[in-house]
Amino acid sequence: MEFLGYERPDGSVGVRNHVAVISSGRCANEMAFTIANTVQGAVPFIHTHPCVRLKDDNDRALRVLAGIGGNPNVAAAIVLGIGCENPSPAKIGEEIAKSKKPVEVLTVMESKGFQDLMDRGLATARRMVSEASRMQRKPFALSHLTLGVKCGGSSAVSGMAGNSVTGRVFDRLIAEGGTAIFSETTEVIGADHLLAKRAINEEVARQFQKAVERMEARIRATREDIRGTQPTRGNIAEGLTTIEEKSLGALAKTGTSPLQGVLEYAERPPGKGLYFMDGSAMTSELISGEAAAGVHIHIYNVGGGISSSFRCPPGWMGEIPILPQIAVVSSQSKPRDSQEKEFFDIYANTIVEGTESVAQVADRLFEEIIAVASGKLTKRETRSGYQEPIVMYTTGPIL
Amino acid sequence: MKRAMMINPKDNTATALDDIQAGDTINLASKSGQVGEIRVRHAVPFGHKLALASIGKGDKVLKYGEVIGLATQLINKGDYVHVHNVESALLPPPKEVK
Repeated sequence: MEFLGYERPDGSVGVRNHVAVISSGRCANEMAFTIANTVQGAVPFIHTHPCVRLKDDNDRALRVLAGIGGNPNVAAAIVLGIGCENPSPAKIGEEIAKSKKPVEVLTVMESKGFQDLMDRGLATARRMVSEASRMQRKPFALSHLTLGVKCGGSSAVSGMAGNSVTGRVFDRLIAEGGTAIFSETTEVIGADHLLAKRAINEEVARQFQKAVERMEARIRATREDIRGTQPTRGNIAEGLTTIEEKSLGALAKTGTSPLQGVLEYAERPPGKGLYFMDGSAMTSELISGEAAAGVHIHIYNVGGGISSSFRCPPGWMGEIPILPQIAVVSSQSKPRDSQEKEFFDIYANTIVEGTESVAQVADRLFEEIIAVASGKLTKRETRSGYQEPIVMYTTGPIL
Repeated sequence: MKRAMMINPKDNTATALDDIQAGDTINLASKSGQVGEIRVRHAVPFGHKLALASIGKGDKVLKYGEVIGLATQLINKGDYVHVHNVESALLPPPKEVK
Protein backbone atom coordinates (compact mmCIF):
# COMPACT_ATOMS: atom_id res chain seq x y z
CA MET A 1 0.00 0.00 0.00
CA GLU A 2 1.09 3.55 -0.71
CA PHE A 3 0.30 7.15 0.13
CA LEU A 4 1.00 10.39 -1.72
CA GLY A 5 3.66 12.44 0.05
CA TYR A 6 6.34 15.08 -0.44
CA GLU A 7 9.90 13.81 -0.82
CA ARG A 8 12.50 15.61 1.33
CA PRO A 9 16.24 15.97 0.56
CA ASP A 10 17.22 13.56 3.38
CA GLY A 11 15.01 10.79 1.98
CA SER A 12 12.17 11.30 4.44
CA VAL A 13 8.64 11.94 3.15
CA GLY A 14 6.20 14.59 4.39
CA VAL A 15 2.40 14.42 4.45
CA ARG A 16 2.10 18.23 4.66
CA ASN A 17 4.19 20.95 3.05
CA HIS A 18 4.38 23.87 5.48
CA VAL A 19 6.99 26.59 5.91
CA ALA A 20 7.72 26.86 9.65
CA VAL A 21 8.61 30.19 11.25
CA ILE A 22 10.15 29.16 14.56
CA SER A 23 10.69 31.63 17.35
CA SER A 24 13.90 30.64 19.15
CA GLY A 25 13.08 32.65 22.26
CA ARG A 26 9.87 33.99 23.64
CA CYS A 27 11.14 37.55 23.11
CA ALA A 28 10.88 36.87 19.35
CA ASN A 29 7.37 35.35 19.51
CA GLU A 30 5.55 38.40 18.20
CA MET A 31 7.87 38.79 15.22
CA ALA A 32 7.61 35.11 14.27
CA PHE A 33 3.84 35.20 14.71
CA THR A 34 3.45 38.34 12.59
CA ILE A 35 5.65 37.06 9.76
CA ALA A 36 3.92 33.67 9.59
CA ASN A 37 0.47 35.19 9.71
CA THR A 38 1.32 37.64 6.92
CA VAL A 39 2.47 34.95 4.49
CA GLN A 40 0.03 32.34 3.18
CA GLY A 41 1.39 28.83 3.76
CA ALA A 42 3.72 29.80 6.61
CA VAL A 43 2.96 28.61 10.15
CA PRO A 44 4.24 30.20 13.37
CA PHE A 45 5.83 28.25 16.23
CA ILE A 46 5.88 30.35 19.36
CA HIS A 47 6.54 29.14 22.91
CA THR A 48 7.19 30.27 26.45
CA HIS A 49 10.54 28.57 27.16
CA PRO A 50 12.47 31.15 29.21
CA CYS A 51 16.24 31.79 29.35
CA VAL A 52 16.30 30.95 33.07
CA ARG A 53 16.12 27.16 32.84
CA LEU A 54 18.84 24.56 33.35
CA LYS A 55 20.61 22.26 30.89
CA ASP A 56 18.19 19.30 30.75
CA ASP A 57 15.28 21.59 29.93
CA ASN A 58 17.33 23.72 27.52
CA ASP A 59 18.38 20.52 25.72
CA ARG A 60 14.72 19.50 25.47
CA ALA A 61 13.81 22.94 24.08
CA LEU A 62 16.56 22.60 21.47
CA ARG A 63 15.29 19.16 20.45
CA VAL A 64 11.69 20.41 20.24
CA LEU A 65 12.41 23.54 18.17
CA ALA A 66 14.99 21.91 15.90
CA GLY A 67 12.88 18.75 15.64
CA ILE A 68 9.79 20.66 14.53
CA GLY A 69 11.88 22.38 11.85
CA GLY A 70 13.30 19.01 10.83
CA ASN A 71 9.90 17.26 10.76
CA PRO A 72 9.22 15.89 7.23
CA ASN A 73 5.89 17.78 7.16
CA VAL A 74 7.96 21.00 7.02
CA ALA A 75 9.28 21.99 3.57
CA ALA A 76 11.52 24.81 4.80
CA ALA A 77 12.11 26.67 8.06
CA ILE A 78 13.02 30.10 9.36
CA VAL A 79 14.49 30.36 12.86
CA LEU A 80 13.75 33.83 14.14
CA GLY A 81 15.32 35.09 17.33
CA ILE A 82 17.00 37.82 19.29
CA GLY A 83 20.37 36.06 19.34
CA CYS A 84 21.09 35.93 23.08
CA GLU A 85 18.55 33.24 24.03
CA ASN A 86 19.10 29.65 25.07
CA PRO A 87 18.91 27.45 23.02
CA SER A 88 20.66 29.70 20.52
CA PRO A 89 19.01 30.36 17.15
CA ALA A 90 22.25 29.38 15.37
CA LYS A 91 22.29 25.96 17.09
CA ILE A 92 18.61 25.37 16.25
CA GLY A 93 19.37 26.27 12.62
CA GLU A 94 22.39 23.92 12.53
CA GLU A 95 20.28 21.03 13.78
CA ILE A 96 17.51 21.68 11.24
CA ALA A 97 20.11 21.94 8.45
CA LYS A 98 21.02 18.27 9.07
CA SER A 99 17.73 17.43 7.30
CA LYS A 100 19.20 19.23 4.21
CA LYS A 101 16.01 21.25 3.76
CA PRO A 102 16.17 25.05 3.27
CA VAL A 103 16.65 26.83 6.61
CA GLU A 104 17.45 30.48 7.41
CA VAL A 105 18.43 31.88 10.79
CA LEU A 106 17.50 35.54 11.31
CA THR A 107 18.27 37.42 14.53
CA VAL A 108 17.91 40.94 15.87
CA MET A 109 21.55 40.93 17.00
CA GLU A 110 22.75 40.27 13.45
CA SER A 111 20.44 42.72 11.70
CA LYS A 112 20.15 46.49 11.43
CA GLY A 113 17.21 46.47 13.79
CA PHE A 114 13.64 45.38 14.17
CA GLN A 115 12.28 46.61 10.83
CA ASP A 116 15.21 45.18 8.89
CA LEU A 117 14.62 41.80 10.51
CA MET A 118 10.89 41.88 9.79
CA ASP A 119 11.50 42.83 6.13
CA ARG A 120 14.02 40.02 5.67
CA GLY A 121 11.80 37.56 7.51
CA LEU A 122 8.80 38.36 5.31
CA ALA A 123 10.85 38.17 2.10
CA THR A 124 12.39 34.83 3.17
CA ALA A 125 9.01 33.36 4.12
CA ARG A 126 7.48 34.42 0.78
CA ARG A 127 10.36 32.90 -1.15
CA MET A 128 10.22 29.63 0.81
CA VAL A 129 6.43 29.32 0.44
CA SER A 130 6.70 29.97 -3.27
CA GLU A 131 9.38 27.28 -3.68
CA ALA A 132 7.43 24.80 -1.54
CA SER A 133 4.31 25.33 -3.63
CA ARG A 134 6.08 23.84 -6.68
CA MET A 135 6.55 20.47 -4.97
CA GLN A 136 4.26 17.63 -6.08
CA ARG A 137 3.00 14.65 -4.10
CA LYS A 138 4.30 11.28 -5.26
CA PRO A 139 3.48 7.70 -4.20
CA PHE A 140 5.55 6.24 -1.35
CA ALA A 141 5.45 3.03 0.67
CA LEU A 142 3.74 3.18 4.08
CA SER A 143 7.10 2.27 5.64
CA HIS A 144 7.96 6.00 5.42
CA LEU A 145 5.21 6.88 7.90
CA THR A 146 5.54 7.49 11.63
CA LEU A 147 2.40 7.61 13.77
CA GLY A 148 2.00 9.03 17.25
CA VAL A 149 -0.78 8.52 19.76
CA LYS A 150 -2.28 10.10 22.84
CA CYS A 151 -5.37 9.09 24.73
CA GLY A 152 -7.17 12.04 26.24
CA GLY A 153 -10.24 12.50 28.37
CA SER A 154 -10.00 8.79 28.98
CA SER A 155 -13.04 6.87 30.06
CA ALA A 156 -13.38 3.26 31.16
CA VAL A 157 -14.27 2.28 27.59
CA SER A 158 -11.18 3.92 26.00
CA GLY A 159 -9.29 0.66 26.45
CA MET A 160 -11.98 -1.47 24.79
CA ALA A 161 -12.66 0.93 21.91
CA GLY A 162 -10.32 3.67 20.62
CA ASN A 163 -7.14 2.39 22.24
CA SER A 164 -7.67 -1.17 20.97
CA VAL A 165 -8.37 0.22 17.50
CA THR A 166 -5.15 2.27 17.55
CA GLY A 167 -3.18 -0.74 18.80
CA ARG A 168 -4.30 -2.76 15.76
CA VAL A 169 -3.44 0.12 13.44
CA PHE A 170 0.02 0.43 15.01
CA ASP A 171 0.62 -3.30 14.50
CA ARG A 172 -0.51 -3.03 10.89
CA LEU A 173 1.72 -0.04 10.08
CA ILE A 174 4.69 -1.71 11.77
CA ALA A 175 4.04 -4.88 9.73
CA GLU A 176 4.29 -2.60 6.63
CA GLY A 177 7.71 -1.44 7.85
CA GLY A 178 6.53 1.81 9.46
CA THR A 179 7.11 3.39 12.86
CA ALA A 180 4.87 4.22 15.82
CA ILE A 181 5.60 6.20 18.99
CA PHE A 182 3.74 6.21 22.29
CA SER A 183 4.64 8.16 25.42
CA GLU A 184 3.00 9.34 28.67
CA THR A 185 5.37 7.83 31.25
CA THR A 186 2.84 8.50 34.03
CA GLU A 187 0.23 6.49 32.19
CA VAL A 188 2.26 3.32 31.89
CA ILE A 189 2.58 3.04 35.69
CA GLY A 190 0.81 -0.21 36.57
CA ALA A 191 1.12 -1.58 33.03
CA ASP A 192 4.92 -1.22 32.77
CA HIS A 193 5.59 -4.88 33.64
CA LEU A 194 3.60 -5.93 30.56
CA LEU A 195 5.41 -3.48 28.28
CA ALA A 196 8.86 -4.38 29.62
CA LYS A 197 8.21 -8.00 28.55
CA ARG A 198 7.80 -6.76 24.98
CA ALA A 199 11.24 -5.06 24.88
CA ILE A 200 13.54 -6.47 22.18
CA ASN A 201 16.34 -6.96 24.72
CA GLU A 202 17.21 -6.51 28.39
CA GLU A 203 18.83 -3.12 27.81
CA VAL A 204 15.64 -1.68 26.31
CA ALA A 205 13.59 -3.21 29.14
CA ARG A 206 15.95 -1.66 31.69
CA GLN A 207 15.80 1.80 30.07
CA PHE A 208 12.03 1.58 29.98
CA GLN A 209 11.72 0.58 33.65
CA LYS A 210 14.18 3.33 34.59
CA ALA A 211 11.99 5.99 32.93
CA VAL A 212 8.95 4.67 34.81
CA GLU A 213 10.83 4.54 38.14
CA ARG A 214 12.00 8.15 37.66
CA MET A 215 8.40 9.30 37.20
CA GLU A 216 7.19 7.26 40.20
CA ALA A 217 9.95 8.78 42.35
CA ARG A 218 8.95 12.29 41.26
CA ILE A 219 5.35 11.56 42.20
CA ARG A 220 6.26 10.06 45.60
CA ALA A 221 8.55 13.03 46.35
CA THR A 222 5.53 15.34 46.24
CA ARG A 223 3.99 13.35 49.15
CA GLU A 224 0.63 14.29 47.75
CA ASP A 225 -2.51 12.33 46.98
CA ILE A 226 -2.44 12.21 43.18
CA ARG A 227 -6.09 11.21 42.81
CA GLY A 228 -7.88 13.98 40.95
CA THR A 229 -4.67 14.58 38.97
CA GLN A 230 -3.98 10.95 37.95
CA PRO A 231 -6.57 9.77 37.26
CA THR A 232 -7.95 13.27 36.57
CA ARG A 233 -11.25 14.42 38.05
CA GLY A 234 -12.75 13.91 34.60
CA ASN A 235 -11.36 10.35 34.39
CA ILE A 236 -12.84 9.52 37.81
CA ALA A 237 -16.21 10.94 36.71
CA GLU A 238 -16.03 8.60 33.71
CA GLY A 239 -15.35 5.55 35.91
CA LEU A 240 -11.56 5.22 36.10
CA THR A 241 -10.57 4.46 39.70
CA THR A 242 -6.76 4.28 39.86
CA ILE A 243 -3.66 5.11 37.80
CA GLU A 244 -3.21 1.36 37.22
CA GLU A 245 -6.66 1.06 35.65
CA LYS A 246 -5.99 4.09 33.46
CA SER A 247 -2.59 2.74 32.37
CA LEU A 248 -3.92 -0.74 31.62
CA GLY A 249 -6.60 0.79 29.37
CA ALA A 250 -3.97 3.00 27.76
CA LEU A 251 -1.75 -0.03 27.11
CA ALA A 252 -4.11 -1.27 24.39
CA LYS A 253 -3.08 1.64 22.17
CA THR A 254 0.47 0.27 21.87
CA GLY A 255 -0.70 -2.87 20.03
CA THR A 256 1.34 -6.05 20.35
CA SER A 257 4.57 -5.24 18.47
CA PRO A 258 7.97 -5.58 20.16
CA LEU A 259 9.30 -2.46 21.90
CA GLN A 260 12.34 -1.42 19.85
CA GLY A 261 13.66 1.34 22.06
CA VAL A 262 13.21 4.13 24.59
CA LEU A 263 13.51 7.71 23.36
CA GLU A 264 14.28 10.85 25.30
CA TYR A 265 11.53 13.46 25.04
CA ALA A 266 11.53 14.93 21.48
CA GLU A 267 14.18 12.47 20.26
CA ARG A 268 13.87 10.96 16.78
CA PRO A 269 13.68 7.14 16.69
CA PRO A 270 16.87 5.57 15.30
CA GLY A 271 14.96 2.82 13.44
CA LYS A 272 11.55 1.44 12.49
CA GLY A 273 8.93 -0.24 14.67
CA LEU A 274 7.43 0.64 18.04
CA TYR A 275 9.15 3.18 20.31
CA PHE A 276 8.40 4.62 23.76
CA MET A 277 9.19 8.30 24.38
CA ASP A 278 9.71 9.57 27.94
CA GLY A 279 7.37 12.41 28.88
CA SER A 280 4.36 13.54 30.85
CA ALA A 281 0.72 12.82 30.12
CA MET A 282 0.01 16.44 29.20
CA THR A 283 -1.33 16.47 25.67
CA SER A 284 0.35 19.64 24.44
CA GLU A 285 3.77 18.57 25.79
CA LEU A 286 3.43 15.17 24.20
CA ILE A 287 2.40 16.51 20.81
CA SER A 288 5.36 18.93 20.67
CA GLY A 289 7.67 16.03 21.53
CA GLU A 290 6.11 13.78 18.89
CA ALA A 291 6.27 16.46 16.18
CA ALA A 292 9.96 16.93 17.05
CA ALA A 293 10.51 13.16 16.89
CA GLY A 294 9.31 13.18 13.27
CA VAL A 295 5.74 11.94 13.72
CA HIS A 296 3.67 12.56 10.56
CA ILE A 297 0.16 11.97 11.87
CA HIS A 298 -1.12 11.92 15.42
CA ILE A 299 -4.00 9.70 16.57
CA TYR A 300 -5.94 11.38 19.36
CA ASN A 301 -8.08 8.89 21.26
CA VAL A 302 -10.81 10.69 23.13
CA GLY A 303 -12.58 8.63 25.76
CA GLY A 304 -15.88 10.30 25.22
CA GLY A 305 -18.53 11.28 27.70
CA ILE A 306 -17.79 14.74 29.04
CA SER A 307 -14.64 15.13 26.97
CA SER A 308 -16.42 14.64 23.67
CA SER A 309 -18.90 17.42 24.32
CA PHE A 310 -16.62 20.40 23.90
CA ARG A 311 -15.36 19.94 20.37
CA CYS A 312 -11.70 19.19 21.12
CA PRO A 313 -10.34 22.72 21.43
CA PRO A 314 -6.71 23.14 20.35
CA GLY A 315 -5.56 23.99 23.87
CA TRP A 316 -6.71 20.56 24.91
CA MET A 317 -5.61 18.66 21.82
CA GLY A 318 -2.21 20.33 21.91
CA GLU A 319 -2.45 21.75 18.43
CA ILE A 320 0.74 21.68 16.38
CA PRO A 321 -0.15 23.05 12.96
CA ILE A 322 2.28 20.84 11.03
CA LEU A 323 0.93 17.66 12.62
CA PRO A 324 -2.49 16.46 11.38
CA GLN A 325 -4.52 14.89 14.18
CA ILE A 326 -7.06 12.16 13.58
CA ALA A 327 -9.52 12.27 16.47
CA VAL A 328 -11.10 8.96 17.51
CA VAL A 329 -13.96 8.96 20.02
CA SER A 330 -14.77 5.89 22.12
CA SER A 331 -18.14 6.65 23.69
CA GLN A 332 -21.18 8.81 23.32
CA SER A 333 -21.01 12.45 24.32
CA LYS A 334 -22.74 13.89 27.36
CA PRO A 335 -25.39 15.12 26.93
CA ARG A 336 -26.11 12.02 24.89
CA ASP A 337 -28.27 13.84 22.36
CA SER A 338 -25.53 16.30 21.35
CA GLN A 339 -24.15 16.08 17.83
CA GLU A 340 -20.51 16.46 18.83
CA LYS A 341 -19.47 13.23 17.17
CA GLU A 342 -19.30 15.11 13.87
CA PHE A 343 -16.19 16.85 15.23
CA PHE A 344 -14.35 13.53 15.38
CA ASP A 345 -12.79 11.78 12.41
CA ILE A 346 -13.54 8.24 13.62
CA TYR A 347 -16.53 7.22 15.74
CA ALA A 348 -15.50 4.09 17.67
CA ASN A 349 -18.49 3.87 20.01
CA THR A 350 -19.94 1.31 17.58
CA ILE A 351 -17.69 -1.20 19.41
CA VAL A 352 -19.44 -0.44 22.70
CA GLU A 353 -22.83 -0.44 20.95
CA GLY A 354 -21.98 -3.89 19.53
CA THR A 355 -22.57 -2.91 15.89
CA GLU A 356 -18.92 -3.01 14.74
CA SER A 357 -15.83 -4.99 15.76
CA VAL A 358 -12.45 -3.52 16.79
CA ALA A 359 -11.03 -4.91 13.51
CA GLN A 360 -13.70 -3.15 11.44
CA VAL A 361 -13.10 0.22 13.11
CA ALA A 362 -9.33 -0.33 12.75
CA ASP A 363 -9.84 -0.81 8.99
CA ARG A 364 -11.69 2.51 8.84
CA LEU A 365 -8.93 4.25 10.81
CA PHE A 366 -6.19 2.76 8.63
CA GLU A 367 -7.95 3.99 5.47
CA GLU A 368 -8.33 7.42 7.06
CA ILE A 369 -4.61 7.54 7.89
CA ILE A 370 -3.70 6.84 4.26
CA ALA A 371 -6.18 9.49 3.08
CA VAL A 372 -4.86 12.09 5.54
CA ALA A 373 -1.26 11.17 4.68
CA SER A 374 -2.16 11.82 1.04
CA GLY A 375 -3.57 15.27 1.75
CA LYS A 376 -7.12 14.89 3.10
CA LEU A 377 -7.68 17.51 5.81
CA THR A 378 -8.62 16.24 9.26
CA LYS A 379 -11.68 17.72 10.97
CA ARG A 380 -9.33 19.70 13.19
CA GLU A 381 -7.43 21.07 10.18
CA THR A 382 -10.64 22.43 8.64
CA ARG A 383 -11.25 24.61 11.69
CA SER A 384 -10.11 28.14 12.47
CA GLY A 385 -6.48 29.20 12.64
CA TYR A 386 -6.61 29.73 16.40
CA GLN A 387 -3.31 28.52 17.80
CA GLU A 388 -1.64 28.32 21.19
CA PRO A 389 2.07 28.51 21.99
CA ILE A 390 3.78 25.12 21.88
CA VAL A 391 4.41 23.53 25.28
CA MET A 392 7.48 21.48 26.26
CA TYR A 393 8.12 18.79 28.87
CA THR A 394 10.36 20.08 31.66
CA THR A 395 11.74 18.49 34.82
CA GLY A 396 13.91 21.24 36.28
CA PRO A 397 13.22 24.52 38.02
CA ILE A 398 12.86 28.01 36.61
CA LEU A 399 15.57 30.03 38.34
CA MET B 1 -31.53 -6.24 29.35
CA LYS B 2 -28.71 -3.92 30.44
CA ARG B 3 -25.12 -5.08 29.93
CA ALA B 4 -21.71 -5.16 31.60
CA MET B 5 -18.41 -6.44 30.16
CA MET B 6 -15.95 -8.76 31.89
CA ILE B 7 -12.77 -7.98 29.94
CA ASN B 8 -10.65 -10.93 31.19
CA PRO B 9 -11.85 -14.23 32.69
CA LYS B 10 -9.62 -13.58 35.77
CA ASP B 11 -11.40 -10.29 36.54
CA ASN B 12 -13.43 -9.72 39.69
CA THR B 13 -14.94 -6.54 38.20
CA ALA B 14 -17.01 -5.79 35.09
CA THR B 15 -17.53 -2.50 33.24
CA ALA B 16 -21.11 -1.25 32.80
CA LEU B 17 -22.07 -0.74 29.16
CA ASP B 18 -25.36 0.91 30.16
CA ASP B 19 -26.46 3.06 33.09
CA ILE B 20 -27.42 0.43 35.69
CA GLN B 21 -29.93 1.07 38.50
CA ALA B 22 -29.73 -0.46 41.99
CA GLY B 23 -31.45 -3.84 41.95
CA ASP B 24 -31.17 -4.36 38.16
CA THR B 25 -30.34 -7.85 36.93
CA ILE B 26 -28.01 -7.44 33.95
CA ASN B 27 -26.36 -9.50 31.23
CA LEU B 28 -22.69 -10.15 31.82
CA ALA B 29 -20.72 -10.41 28.57
CA SER B 30 -17.13 -11.39 27.82
CA LYS B 31 -15.11 -11.21 24.61
CA SER B 32 -16.21 -14.78 23.82
CA GLY B 33 -19.90 -14.12 24.45
CA GLN B 34 -22.53 -14.25 27.15
CA VAL B 35 -21.29 -15.31 30.62
CA GLY B 36 -24.47 -15.08 32.65
CA GLU B 37 -26.62 -12.73 34.63
CA ILE B 38 -25.79 -10.78 37.77
CA ARG B 39 -27.91 -8.73 40.17
CA VAL B 40 -26.36 -5.31 40.80
CA ARG B 41 -26.84 -3.90 44.30
CA HIS B 42 -26.04 -0.24 43.56
CA ALA B 43 -26.46 2.24 40.73
CA VAL B 44 -23.46 1.93 38.37
CA PRO B 45 -23.15 4.57 35.61
CA PHE B 46 -22.02 3.70 32.08
CA GLY B 47 -18.25 2.96 32.03
CA HIS B 48 -18.05 2.43 35.79
CA LYS B 49 -17.41 -0.93 37.50
CA LEU B 50 -19.31 -3.51 39.54
CA ALA B 51 -17.95 -6.44 41.56
CA LEU B 52 -18.35 -9.96 40.12
CA ALA B 53 -17.34 -11.61 43.40
CA SER B 54 -16.83 -10.70 47.01
CA ILE B 55 -13.49 -8.85 47.49
CA GLY B 56 -12.05 -8.70 51.01
CA LYS B 57 -10.47 -5.58 52.51
CA GLY B 58 -6.88 -5.32 51.21
CA ASP B 59 -7.52 -7.83 48.42
CA LYS B 60 -6.65 -7.26 44.78
CA VAL B 61 -9.18 -5.67 42.46
CA LEU B 62 -8.76 -7.09 38.94
CA LYS B 63 -9.61 -5.72 35.47
CA TYR B 64 -7.89 -6.64 32.17
CA GLY B 65 -6.66 -9.68 34.18
CA GLU B 66 -4.35 -7.28 36.07
CA VAL B 67 -4.32 -5.53 39.45
CA ILE B 68 -5.96 -2.09 39.25
CA GLY B 69 -5.84 -1.50 43.02
CA LEU B 70 -6.65 -2.84 46.47
CA ALA B 71 -10.03 -2.89 48.22
CA THR B 72 -10.13 -0.45 51.17
CA GLN B 73 -13.19 -2.21 52.61
CA LEU B 74 -15.18 -5.38 52.01
CA ILE B 75 -16.80 -5.28 48.56
CA ASN B 76 -19.73 -7.63 47.99
CA LYS B 77 -20.74 -9.26 44.71
CA GLY B 78 -22.87 -6.78 42.74
CA ASP B 79 -21.48 -3.70 44.55
CA TYR B 80 -20.42 -0.51 42.84
CA VAL B 81 -16.57 -0.45 42.68
CA HIS B 82 -14.84 2.93 42.53
CA VAL B 83 -12.72 5.43 44.49
CA HIS B 84 -14.87 5.00 47.65
CA ASN B 85 -13.72 1.37 48.08
CA VAL B 86 -10.52 1.00 45.99
CA GLU B 87 -7.08 2.65 46.15
CA SER B 88 -4.00 2.39 43.92
CA ALA B 89 -1.69 -0.44 44.99
CA LEU B 90 1.35 1.37 43.54
CA LEU B 91 0.78 5.03 44.40
CA PRO B 92 -1.75 5.05 47.26
CA PRO B 93 -2.58 8.36 48.96
CA PRO B 94 0.18 9.10 51.52
CA LYS B 95 -0.94 8.30 55.06
CA GLU B 96 1.23 10.89 56.83
CA VAL B 97 0.39 14.59 56.82
CA LYS B 98 2.73 16.59 54.60
